[in-house]
Amino acid sequence: MRIGLACPYTWDIPGGVQVHVRDLAETLIAAGHEVSVITPVDDEDELPSYAVDAGRALPVPYNGSVSRVLMGPVSAARVRRWLREHDFDVLHVHEPTAPSIGLLACMLADGPIVGTFHTANPRSKILTAAQGALQPSLEKLRARIAVSEAARRTIVEHLGTSAVLIPNGVRVAAFTDARPLPGYEPPRNTVCFLGRIDEPRKGLDVLLAALPELARRVPDVRLLVAGPGDVAAVRARLDPSLRPRVDLVGLVPNKDKARVFASADVYCAPNTGQESFGIVLLEAMAAGTPVMASDLDAFRRVLGDGQAGRLFGVGEPAQLAAGLAELLADDAARAALARRGRVVVTGFDWPVIAESIVDIYRMVTVGAGPVQLASAAEV
Amino acid sequence: MAGRSFTLPEMTVVVAVVAIVVAIATYLTWIARRLDRLGVRVDAAHAGLVAQLTARAEAAGALAASRGLVPLAAAAEQALAGHAALRAGAALDTGVENTENELSRALRAGEVGTAGQGAPKLLHAVDSAAARVALARQLHNDAVRDLRALRGRRLVRVTRLGSRRLLPAYFEIDDALPARAEAWPSDVEEQPAPAETQPDAGAAVGQEGLA
Repeated sequence: MRIGLACPYTWDIPGGVQVHVRDLAETLIAAGHEVSVITPVDDEDELPSYAVDAGRALPVPYNGSVSRVLMGPVSAARVRRWLREHDFDVLHVHEPTAPSIGLLACMLADGPIVGTFHTANPRSKILTAAQGALQPSLEKLRARIAVSEAARRTIVEHLGTSAVLIPNGVRVAAFTDARPLPGYEPPRNTVCFLGRIDEPRKGLDVLLAALPELARRVPDVRLLVAGPGDVAAVRARLDPSLRPRVDLVGLVPNKDKARVFASADVYCAPNTGQESFGIVLLEAMAAGTPVMASDLDAFRRVLGDGQAGRLFGVGEPAQLAAGLAELLADDAARAALARRGRVVVTGFDWPVIAESIVDIYRMVTVGAGPVQLASAAEV
Repeated sequence: MAGRSFTLPEMTVVVAVVAIVVAIATYLTWIARRLDRLGVRVDAAHAGLVAQLTARAEAAGALAASRGLVPLAAAAEQALAGHAALRAGAALDTGVENTENELSRALRAGEVGTAGQGAPKLLHAVDSAAARVALARQLHNDAVRDLRALRGRRLVRVTRLGSRRLLPAYFEIDDALPARAEAWPSDVEEQPAPAETQPDAGAAVGQEGLA
């Protein structure tokens, strides 16, 4: 199939949507499809051969963080040219509620269009207010996909429509045979954490609060903490007696994520809320590292109600310490969790996920012609 | 000069009236385009749904033939008989819903799962076809919902813009999949207990991912 993917966010800035579009594109290409991506980008040299530059996005403060939007006449002309030059069987726009390339492509095209919604936003006044303005574009989508149950609920509640749930994929192969980081070969009573260290909802503080009790029960326990943030500030907050046990390595490049998991006996996800999916849990499972996660809806779902990973009460350091001590002491339990984790994660491997998405493409293209430019009158 | 010339206030009124008429006409044209496009989407979703219904009936027929399941064969036959008319554009009405529900019920019969053990590939084909029916039905009903929403707007009702075609109906059938899947594949769960307690076995599994 000839597939066009429209990515809303700047390609060379790290983000979940960009990673999703990249992995989907590369998986589809490997499966023999013809794929072209159009995306905003800051440095055109960063673009892979299958992607087209839509221009530079403008940073706009929104909802407490910086969003980048791209809706000008120049990018509209580029999207039009892209649509004209590629005779797509299906156009797949991402995050069509964001004022960027996804929405723009949706406005400018006509025919078999599929949209994927990534954001989970339980109370978005902006989305509710914009519904009327978005409806003419969104009603062009022949199929709507949500990447998580929370994202699906957001669409149902704010846009009054439904969506097919197809989760994010994981590149399982990229996680399966990593070497531990230097100093962790082989891992011994090591627990790892991955995520922003100064963002409260990632829950590092819960893990650090569990550490004194954990160290009492497992005298040689170590904590490997990877993720961006102010390392010095976190170290300063630590009790001096605990400092030697905590290895704050800061931001690790994406390719070394697998090595962090390989360095630990248990991966801990102590998040305190707002997680819509839990892709990191799946990555840990792909690496064969047993998971100990807080009992959030999304995590519970990914972990099969606690069968493929242990759960502890959200924000409960005492429970976490007890759970980790128990798991570190029980080789058989860890091996069983690793085995079940691998089974769970095969259902999320990108080739499997991409196949479900191609199923949707096939369904919306039954008897339909290629994607065309919408007539000027309606834009 | 023939006729009298307009005064400035009169000109203003004329210009304003023309502008309003043009704006209304543009707006109505735009609504009409949206209605057309939604009509195309509903037709495409209809075609997609019928294609999946046919695929399910064919898969069910193949399983029934290979395992000698008479009631399933009859239900599949019944469903297929109506699909030619649907492909020609016939409405997905209550009659069709009843026929497809019959097939869903026949597929859920216990004997299908049991007999299917002898033809796992055919059973799998039936189950994935049934899952696709559920998906196609959702896409169809979403399209219908969007079209009905626009058709329900007062302006559209008053101007009868949408009245060229019948208001499409939702397609409601029971397409829930029969529960066949086990929670964990047996080779994962039924690890012999003694192997677990041998230190070597546990270590080997652990190191697979770490090496």
